[in-house]
Amino acid sequence: MITVIAIDALEYTLVEEFNMRNLKQDYYGRTDISEFSEPRTMVLWSSFMTGENREAEILAKGDKEMWNTRIPHEETFFSHFKNPFVLDLPGYNYDLEQHRRERELLKEFFEEKDEERKREVRRKYNENAFAHHRRVKERFFEALEGDYDFVLGYFSVADVIGHLNFGNRSLMKMIYRDLDDIVSRVEGKKIVLSDHGMKAVGAFGDHSDYGFWSTNFRDLGRPRITDFKRIVLQEALGE
Amino acid sequence: MAEKKGKKKSKYTTVSIPTPLYKKIKKRIEETGFTSVSDYVTYVLREVLASLEEEEKEEAFTEEEEEKVKERLRALGYLD
Repeated sequence: MITVIAIDALEYTLVEEFNMRNLKQDYYGRTDISEFSEPRTMVLWSSFMTGENREAEILAKGDKEMWNTRIPHEETFFSHFKNPFVLDLPGYNYDLEQHRRERELLKEFFEEKDEERKREVRRKYNENAFAHHRRVKERFFEALEGDYDFVLGYFSVADVIGHLNFGNRSLMKMIYRDLDDIVSRVEGKKIVLSDHGMKAVGAFGDHSDYGFWSTNFRDLGRPRITDFKRIVLQEALGE
Repeated sequence: MAEKKGKKKSKYTTVSIPTPLYKKIKKRIEETGFTSVSDYVTYVLREVLASLEEEEKEEAFTEEEEEKVKERLRALGYLD
């Protein structure tokens, strides 16, 4: 059994700075996403699960429709497993309504001019993201007890909260500590992987142009996100 | 003075922490003036909450930063 802990916007430099030992595992580094024009979440996870650069195809859908992408199971490497469990992954089976609500609140935040109401929108935005994170965590730990030959849990909290709160180091450290704890509770071979990292724009967060990876089984060097199909299948099934 | 009838509401409540952490704190307070693990945990939690609240207050941003991040979020597809 191999488990992938897919963490949106997990930033290499913060993992180092906060010294998150479980997120780092035995081997860790940055991924190379330089082949993509922008570090877009939907493009990167779709490319990860298929092992191919899907940028042109996803961007052709347009900014709105892009978020509704559902790559067919047969086109993903998950189909190589007999009984895989994939939780909330963009481009495959993520909760469309939840993520639509996040983007809606983000828009509301930037459209609001009054400082007090702006803070209130951010509070609602954060609450919504943390409530979703708690639900995902619960389902992920249930899945680890199940009879699956592959488990992937996708955690969006560092990305969603980071966009409006990246300047709040205490809050970000709390999130990283929580993610570190999640990884510590997973047994067996595991990969921690992010699509991209995050860099500060004042109090806000923008995507950085590299991702993060770590494993407890071997050094991967500087892999591309599309290499993980091969890595997972090799490690789990010897393919 | 007449005593209030019924159960008096306690000022304290119980929270659980992992046993290894409890042991670590117990050892640490030997080098401090804290007389119990509960006092130490209360102190640390107050510090953490104060720091979170302080950072929330300090999170002022300029219009320029807001415009910059809006532009980036548009490019990434988050905003129309």
